[in-house]
Amino acid sequence: MDASSERQPMLAISGLSKAYGSTVALEHVSIEIGTGEVHALLGENGAGKSTFVKSLTGVVRPDSGVMTLAGAVYAPRSILEARSRGVVAAFQELSLVPNLSVAQNFFLPRSLKHWGLNSRLRMEEKAAEILRRWGGDIPVRQTIERLTLAQRQQIELIRALERRPDLLILDEPTAALTDPGWLFEAIAERASAGGAILYISHRLAEIRQVAQRATVLRNGRSSGALRLAEASDQDIFLAMVGRSSARSGRPTPSARRSDACRLVVNDLRARNVDGVSFELREGEVLGVAALEGQGQRELFRALAGEEKQTAGQIVVEDRLQSFSCPRDALKAPGGIAFVPEERKTEGIFASLPVASNITLPRLSKLSVAGVISPTRERKAARDAAAKLDLGQRYLPFRIGALSGGNQQKAIIARALMTGAKTLLLFDPSRGIDVGTKETIYAAIRSFADRGGSVLVYSSEIPELISLVDRCLVLYRSRVVASLANAEMEEDTMMALLTGNPASASGEIGAQS
Amino acid sequence: MTVEATLEAPTDTRRAARFSGEALTAMGLFALSAGMVAASPLISPALGSWSQIYTILLLVSFLLVISFGQGLVILTGGLDLSVGSVMMLGGVLTTTWIGGDSATFWGVMPVVLAFGAGIGALNGIGVAMVGIPPFIMTMGVGIVTASLALGYTGGTTLGAAPPPLLLLMKGDILGAPSVIVFVLLFCLVAWTLQSRTTFGRKVYAIGSSRRAARIAGVPIVSTTILVYATSGLCATLSGAMLVGYSNGATLRMGDPYLLPSIAAVVVGGSSILGGSGNFVNTICGALFLATLESLIAASGLGQGWRTILSGLIIVGALLVQSGWISGVFASVARRVRGAGG
Repeated sequence: MDASSERQPMLAISGLSKAYGSTVALEHVSIEIGTGEVHALLGENGAGKSTFVKSLTGVVRPDSGVMTLAGAVYAPRSILEARSRGVVAAFQELSLVPNLSVAQNFFLPRSLKHWGLNSRLRMEEKAAEILRRWGGDIPVRQTIERLTLAQRQQIELIRALERRPDLLILDEPTAALTDPGWLFEAIAERASAGGAILYISHRLAEIRQVAQRATVLRNGRSSGALRLAEASDQDIFLAMVGRSSARSGRPTPSARRSDACRLVVNDLRARNVDGVSFELREGEVLGVAALEGQGQRELFRALAGEEKQTAGQIVVEDRLQSFSCPRDALKAPGGIAFVPEERKTEGIFASLPVASNITLPRLSKLSVAGVISPTRERKAARDAAAKLDLGQRYLPFRIGALSGGNQQKAIIARALMTGAKTLLLFDPSRGIDVGTKETIYAAIRSFADRGGSVLVYSSEIPELISLVDRCLVLYRSRVVASLANAEMEEDTMMALLTGNPASASGEIGAQS
Repeated sequence: MTVEATLEAPTDTRRAARFSGEALTAMGLFALSAGMVAASPLISPALGSWSQIYTILLLVSFLLVISFGQGLVILTGGLDLSVGSVMMLGGVLTTTWIGGDSATFWGVMPVVLAFGAGIGALNGIGVAMVGIPPFIMTMGVGIVTASLALGYTGGTTLGAAPPPLLLLMKGDILGAPSVIVFVLLFCLVAWTLQSRTTFGRKVYAIGSSRRAARIAGVPIVSTTILVYATSGLCATLSGAMLVGYSNGATLRMGDPYLLPSIAAVVVGGSSILGGSGNFVNTICGALFLATLESLIAASGLGQGWRTILSGLIIVGALLVQSGWISGVFASVARRVRGAGG
């Protein structure tokens, strides 16, 4: 039926797998893109999209699987090799060099030469001509850092299009564009010239506009190709969030839950946080849901004293706070302890034993006149490890040698060790296995049962539904909804996350 | 029996490898030093005696004291290039402020030590509060300190060594050389400070990951200043000890100790990037370097060859320790086996 499936596919991938240490990013992913086809790739944050793109462009090497490009085996070892085979990507994290000019960026890594020297004039003429052809109105001598995000995105896209690749990969190409009309035309043109396009986006309406078929990634696994014309938005959302894998349980509110507010945030402003207000009660687990880059990171860091607060109030136990570093937050009434997303660089002390990693916040209580009592330290570490089901025998190990899940258990044990009554957990289950996740959920709930308050961000909606009492939805640096657990449904939330509060199953997307 | 044991073995049988590795390095260096002493009669019949060991211990005492401070700084991921100059200043102040007068020693010596700690604290302030790279900050402070000492003395060193320091470096206490007793006590205190106190643990945390330490609420600024102050204190103390040993202070008397103070820490197996290391290892590193030095000095080689030899041996020790050599052997063995099979 579909023209593209009859011809030889431009790209065929089967059984592609990639793991980073113990974290599986891709598992037996298969996809086929025909010549002249625009194929959409969908998936939640952390579903494996970026790893997939990196495998295609030679940035990472998959552990197993076969890729063929136009019938020939394809196993690129670098971006340059991928490019020479006709595979070009316009990245979401823009790959432009900020302190070089537009023209210089256009011809990276090989500048145009004149008598063996880089010729600025020739590059500027050529770049201006190319930009004009694509309808871009950008001064070619300007350095990239002085351009707007939209202009940068446009240059990134034009640079990729100009190479006329056989396979063009566009990763969230419209995220920063104000008027993507020209891009859709360019995509259609490339497709009619026989190129294949892999189009990655969260915006469903846009995908329906440009693509014919879609593959959904979920937890590193691929669905078969969906024909977009035959699939409803509902079907696609279900494929993305995976009703079947959702944990069905809902949390029971803790017995110690009270109406007393532990933390009141009022019109908080910081970089990328635009007037956020909420209340966190004693014994409550409050969730934060957001797609990537909606200000959740800065919100958590501002509450932890790690990001500068520009306006608004943070009130802890009825006292106004002003944090200049995380130490201040820990010393606030009751204490606020933060578990950051970057486990490797901000969480663990890689060269120290697990026990020292855990006991650090409580050392002064385990020592006499500054000298640590080894027996008391050992006991404290053992007790803390037991609470998180972390094996005793790991305690003397260097924490850097442990799996991500065990590292995370130790870091959460450390956060509990501070004695803080408020925990800020940023994506605490990212990249760890199911069993460990369950342990961490249980630890969070039992902390709340003892009267503690938790603010937790997660990139996985089912996780939030099964864990939190209430959930804030962040979109574009603001709280757009606050849902009680009973109101939390994956499809409604997905709609809110993408900025479409109107309906869950109707028209979703087209937001820019 | 064996089958049962295998069945019951846990899936993850790894041991806490780094700690035994660290101990291994320390023991290896100690054995090497002992071996060199034992073999030294082959080089010169005058060596290999108790007096040679005593000389080595005497020489190692300055190095140990200065290396402890340097080791703490390295543990935070920094480097203290001012220790040579501070050591000299310590020596100069000891001879000029105290001189040969026993009466003023106990009152003024603490002032001298505090002065050295203050210069170290200055390093710490520049590094932790202003954010100047340790390398530059300590180099600058070192140059200023050396110039101050030069200006203060007018280029000639005056004064004499205080008798209590002469007693410390050359006398006996309870039948044992007092310097050895003193160094043993110093090592015990230093090791406790580094490995058994909350302060030491914070230093490890900062060196292991500054960002994680910040998030965990470790007071980075005050701890860092304290670390550099300790280094200044140690350098000053070792300057005073050198005054007792050589019966006076000389300009540039600290310079020959700057690089060995770093080498002792690194040869001992600490990471130059910070976050790992142990004072026992630094002790063994310092012993190894001092033994090597005394042996090469006795070998009768020219100065050029002596320097080349000691440099090569240090690099060799580091290669063995980094596992590079065993790695090369392993890969050669693999290839040979691969070719055979």
